[in-house]
Amino acid sequence: MTIHNDRTRIGDQNLGVLFNEGKVRRRREWRGVKDTLYDYGRWLYIISILARFIVKPRNIKAMFRYRWMANYLAVPHMVDKFTMGLRDEPLRIVHTAMDFVVYDVAQTMENIFRGDRRTGNDEKFSARCVLTDENAMTAFMMGFPTLKAILREVPTMFVANLLNQYSTTHYLDVAQQAGIPGDVCPMPEAEAGISIEDDFAVLGACAVQVNTTCDGSLMGNGIIAKRLEREYGIPTFQLVAPMRHREADVQDYAAQDIKNAIAFIEEHTGAKWDWDAYFECAKRVNDITRNRLAWLEMNSTNYPQFVGAPFSLYNDTNYMGNCGRSPKFPPIDRKIMKYAQHGYEAKRMMAPEYRHRAIIWGVQPQYVIDMLNWMIHCWGIVPLTDMLSMVNTRQIAEVDTPENREQAYYDMAWLNENMIMRNRTHGGYKVLVDELWQFCEQMNADMVIMWEHMSCKALDGMHGQFEEQARERGIHLVWVCHDLCDPRVYTRQAIRDQLNTYMRTVMREEPLDPTIEFLPDEKAW
Amino acid sequence: MRDLKHLQYFEDLLQVANNELIAQAQSEGKICVAYPCENVPEPLLNLPGAFSVRLFAPNTGSTDIATYYMTNLLCETSRALLERAIEGGFNFADCVISPDGCTMMNRCVENMELLKTMGKDKEHFFWQYMEIPLKDDDNNLSLYKLQCKNHILDPLHEAYGLDISDAAIRQAVEEHNRVCRLIRAIGDFRKGEKPRITGYEFHVLTLATYVCPKYLIVDKLEETLEELKTREPDDKPWRARVVLVGSEADDSGLIKLIEEVGAFVCADRFCMGSLPGRNLIELNDSEDALTQVCRAYMHRCQCPRMMNMAKVYGRKQYVADVAKEYGADGIIYEQVKFCDPWAYERTLGSVMLRDDYGYPVLSVDRPYNIRSSVGQMRTRVQAFVESIEIKKLQRGQTE
Amino acid sequence: MPKVVKIPLLLLGSLAALFVVTFTVYFLNLDMKLLSKIEPFFLKHYDKMPRKNYV
Repeated sequence: MTIHNDRTRIGDQNLGVLFNEGKVRRRREWRGVKDTLYDYGRWLYIISILARFIVKPRNIKAMFRYRWMANYLAVPHMVDKFTMGLRDEPLRIVHTAMDFVVYDVAQTMENIFRGDRRTGNDEKFSARCVLTDENAMTAFMMGFPTLKAILREVPTMFVANLLNQYSTTHYLDVAQQAGIPGDVCPMPEAEAGISIEDDFAVLGACAVQVNTTCDGSLMGNGIIAKRLEREYGIPTFQLVAPMRHREADVQDYAAQDIKNAIAFIEEHTGAKWDWDAYFECAKRVNDITRNRLAWLEMNSTNYPQFVGAPFSLYNDTNYMGNCGRSPKFPPIDRKIMKYAQHGYEAKRMMAPEYRHRAIIWGVQPQYVIDMLNWMIHCWGIVPLTDMLSMVNTRQIAEVDTPENREQAYYDMAWLNENMIMRNRTHGGYKVLVDELWQFCEQMNADMVIMWEHMSCKALDGMHGQFEEQARERGIHLVWVCHDLCDPRVYTRQAIRDQLNTYMRTVMREEPLDPTIEFLPDEKAW
Repeated sequence: MRDLKHLQYFEDLLQVANNELIAQAQSEGKICVAYPCENVPEPLLNLPGAFSVRLFAPNTGSTDIATYYMTNLLCETSRALLERAIEGGFNFADCVISPDGCTMMNRCVENMELLKTMGKDKEHFFWQYMEIPLKDDDNNLSLYKLQCKNHILDPLHEAYGLDISDAAIRQAVEEHNRVCRLIRAIGDFRKGEKPRITGYEFHVLTLATYVCPKYLIVDKLEETLEELKTREPDDKPWRARVVLVGSEADDSGLIKLIEEVGAFVCADRFCMGSLPGRNLIELNDSEDALTQVCRAYMHRCQCPRMMNMAKVYGRKQYVADVAKEYGADGIIYEQVKFCDPWAYERTLGSVMLRDDYGYPVLSVDRPYNIRSSVGQMRTRVQAFVESIEIKKLQRGQTE
Repeated sequence: MPKVVKIPLLLLGSLAALFVVTFTVYFLNLDMKLLSKIEPFFLKHYDKMPRKNYV
């Protein structure tokens, strides 16, 4: 059922006018006076964050020391990507979420370079830092208010790829030169390449690695840990997230390893676990969960508000990277909620019409392209949710009692097991395949955009099952192949063309905005 | 060397997954427990009234159907097994017990289940997936015990009425050890200047102990051991002695190819090999057998998914120790194409064995069935052997 | 003109000028165009740096 937008978009109608074959866009979008001035104001805010960051000598030093820092020249460009075509509340929602992500990443990098032996070298600060994987729920840090969890792979690999599609290619080459084959997932491969080339910042009293997301992450950790331990004398702990995470008979095991991780951190930092701080964080985690469920419920209606890559990225940052530890996130959540409610009541839409409602499933390359936003404007396909946002839905214990203190270990273990993406790619076919169809029904989706990350063996291994079961249910399953952060294998246009071809040949539709059906962005950041 | 009397017999058994001994054992009323991975403790699958069969897919040709279901980027072993299952090649199984170890093997078995490839007309057939240790510590031992109980022992008892008592486990361990003693004793003949058994022959015998009911081949293994005690070794020396390390190697053709080039495979540190797969399990009377079996498997496990750093470093130390014990000149790290765990392990292992332990290392990936890549592998191994010979010459000159 | 009027007028003028300049940079995407030209210099610099590459 097509939903028509009874308002005409103000400003640029055809978004193709913004693109040429260059690295950056021809110009920024004209959104009418009100929204253009709003966007301009947010651009000034982003510039101020960058300016405050770059004036510090240690950060300038970092700019010249670490190759991945060059990607941060593209920060405003990234924000433009995610706000393309948006007006009114959807524009404000994305800015609120993404601008805060930019702020949060800037803070992370501030901390990293403050403690980094090669730049700031603040030893006292470094002694309060615990390195964690980017693919780790940082729940085990919730009770250490005096310590800093440093997700050093986030700005190095993950965010860098949001900014520049070619950010990891050099590191992939380094890893492959060292002997790691090219068929493994490029995310841990790039992390291994960064470690091999000694391009990670070095700081921290200790490091906690986790086997999430997958076999590749698990194995890449060994290469990274070897360097941390043998060259830099930073001890590492490998925290287990069981594979069969839905089974009752692994929960004791998982909880015990959380205890072990906490003991390891206490031993190497001298800090003591603080239950008050933990339960404070737990309350925020519950708040995050409630908000996310509310947004999902809204997205189940005809007027979804908080969608696409920003929804996914904000969830990643808040749910995983933050995991309740920062008090700065709840006000952002509330602001987003206010805009979302307002937008929902006003029946705001992001495109002239919504022709299809899609669940986005699989390992999505939101790092590389802003395809979900593009999909809305080009084809009227609204992404209701994505696999990475379908995470924990239960409330954890948030009141300090003796029973809840014991329960807390199980809650932290549960969060650890339900790390984004991994809670679906592992744990059996029920969580990956069966539950997809349940979500399609709950959210009234008629389409599934199936990201087939060619190096994700966990997902590829269910290819045939997805195909057959989608056919049985009469759901349009659109396969979109990619190789995540290696755009040399599948370019952005090649990725988009898979959807273009499906929409033209199977759905027999014409694009809403034909000027963006083919975009000359192969050379773009 | 004179042909081993029973080698042809074992070679014939290995031509099909559903070998004649499986049918014989089942006709005697025994339950066939199929499993795909070394991390499932074998003795627990060989309790009185049952026998284990490790799934493998000899003479695999096309894997087109499995590739449709799993794409061509999953490891060839997992696709070969799924293809064989779809073809009906594993219909002998009375149950399948699989660890959720590596992702690909897990998806392989899940597809087998969803496609209903086994268990037709078998009222008590079951599929079980178990969690297995990722580290080597007390917490992981507790997990392993619980998982073995919940996903091996209890289902076998409930479905087939098998005795899962401590005494039954001890009996199974003793029978398992009997085979291990034979294999290790036979394997010892690979040591020394003039080995009395080739790596290929040894692999055939070892592989048979994984894929056939052990109790039906133990007599022939004993005879083979006796035969080896008086077998005259070849005079012609091998050009080099190598340890083969890596992922599943259930294709004896791989070993044969390496040895045809002149490199004697003196030790088999790969999945479905004897090191550590045929280590004895020593039981004492002060602790229950299940705990001891789990501890033995956990401690000795060389699977690359064991992720605590002691294990990461320990695996390389183990290879170095094996190389020393068997007098190896070099090490070949191999992986089946598209295996993620061994892709990384091979990289780290080959660097560490070279830099920290001073061994020349060849690092290769290969297809599941070596016949599809004979020329390439031969060239790589040949070049490696020549480099070892040159190093030996240079060492001889300096000494 | 009295200072009480002159100073606010100057301030307003400056703000207006700042707005025009920054808005021009913003709308014509001059910030990104400039930074995209700077990127290659950084990449060349990184390529020249000595590295301790090892597994």
